[in-house]
Amino acid sequence: MEQFWNVTLQLLEGFTQNCALFGVTLLAALPLGLIISFGSMSRFIPLKAVCRTFVWIIRGTPLLLQLFVVYYIPPMMTNGSFRFGDRMSAAMIAFIINYAAYFSEIYRGGIESIPKGQYEAGYVLGMTKSQIFFKVVLLQVIKRIIPPMSNEIITLVKDTSLARIILVEEILKFADDFRVQGLIWPVFYTGVFFLLFCGALTLLFRFIERKLDYYKG
Amino acid sequence: MAFLEVNNIKKSFGRTEVLTDISFSLEKGEVLAIIGSSGSGKTTLLRCINFLEAPQKGIISVGGEVLFDGDDPSKKKEKEIRKNRLHFGMVFQQFNLFPQYTVFENLILAPQLMAKEQIKANGEYMGAKTYKEAQEKIKAEADRLLKKVGLTEKKDSYPCDLSGGQQQRVAIARALALNPDVLCFDEPTSALDPELTGEVLNVIKGLKSTDSTMIVVTHEIGFARDVADKIIFMDNGVIEEEGTPQEVIENPKSRRTREFLSRFNQFGD
Repeated sequence: MEQFWNVTLQLLEGFTQNCALFGVTLLAALPLGLIISFGSMSRFIPLKAVCRTFVWIIRGTPLLLQLFVVYYIPPMMTNGSFRFGDRMSAAMIAFIINYAAYFSEIYRGGIESIPKGQYEAGYVLGMTKSQIFFKVVLLQVIKRIIPPMSNEIITLVKDTSLARIILVEEILKFADDFRVQGLIWPVFYTGVFFLLFCGALTLLFRFIERKLDYYKG
Repeated sequence: MAFLEVNNIKKSFGRTEVLTDISFSLEKGEVLAIIGSSGSGKTTLLRCINFLEAPQKGIISVGGEVLFDGDDPSKKKEKEIRKNRLHFGMVFQQFNLFPQYTVFENLILAPQLMAKEQIKANGEYMGAKTYKEAQEKIKAEADRLLKKVGLTEKKDSYPCDLSGGQQQRVAIARALALNPDVLCFDEPTSALDPELTGEVLNVIKGLKSTDSTMIVVTHEIGFARDVADKIIFMDNGVIEEEGTPQEVIENPKSRRTREFLSRFNQFGD
């Protein structure tokens, strides 16, 4: 029993790293994704091309590879004079970039699904473009993208464990250390942490969906 | 000079010419009905008047003030267009209410934003010096308009809970809330079940007595005959015939007008 608590505490310590990576990624990638989505919908062709190419590259390569690139390429390019202060910062940068690309496509889908008539109604009522976006379109977009967003955010929870590839001290890294010492069950036990976290998120998303259920359309 | 002057409007999409040299005028308080078959350019004309489309050529003026001139780039700036749009109100075929706001909020949203902006810039909005004072005026006006379209009891409902006819009446009230000089209707009853068109047409009829200047694109020939002071029949991007309802509907001169109207008469309209 004492061993169980010991393992639990150790894993929990690792899991705080997963949570930190999750939180920072979400906080930064949500707004960054919106900016990228504006870029990929821009009528200014070079900007649109840059944004769409960015999304293609990020979605077209494994997150694991992107972690390596962010961690190893800067010191290689600068002869070692620049590297990320710690492994966690490198992981955060890679995750933010990766998730911003995915989020941007979800935003784009949501924004493009709003009927043109909503914008036109705003225009003929003398509203500015930004007033129309923030006062009329945004909430409708949010309502529409909650299901795909929740999917992506739940995936993010589990993806955080990939950070161990650059030796971030996250939960699976701790569990693997136990395995090396001959204790296998903590590896499977980590699943419980992820399940509980994702369960809580699912409840949160259901709550938000219900909050936005007061209107249709 | 007439109150609304539309001169030599020309609009094409790519190589397709949709409007060829359209000119007409309207006096204050008059109602103009634009009829014609699908694809004749009626809706495009209305959208040009609301600056939702930019004509390649032509001049639009209200009360002697030139609001659009195809040859004057300064009239095509976004800021200028936004200001000039306020001379016109628009009611769409698909209502286009904002679904996340209640009926009342739909009416007050744009005036509130306008009041905030104008009080900041000029220290005044429709005689109100503070935002709070303006807000009271805006809300009182919204209540008055809802009463006018007979939807006071639906004030706190959401658009999704209203019938199509009710939604369109809200859209009319919303367009009136900014007190436009000319109110435009783009086939306001085409998306409605037949039994719901009456309530919307009655509201529009009611507006006529309050001397609003209106342009109505419509397929309701009977309504056009009863309400309009002036009728334009459009065909292939030109005004084929123009005149009073008696002239255009009872005694059409053009063969195309006669053909168009005979199709309606077949169904007893």
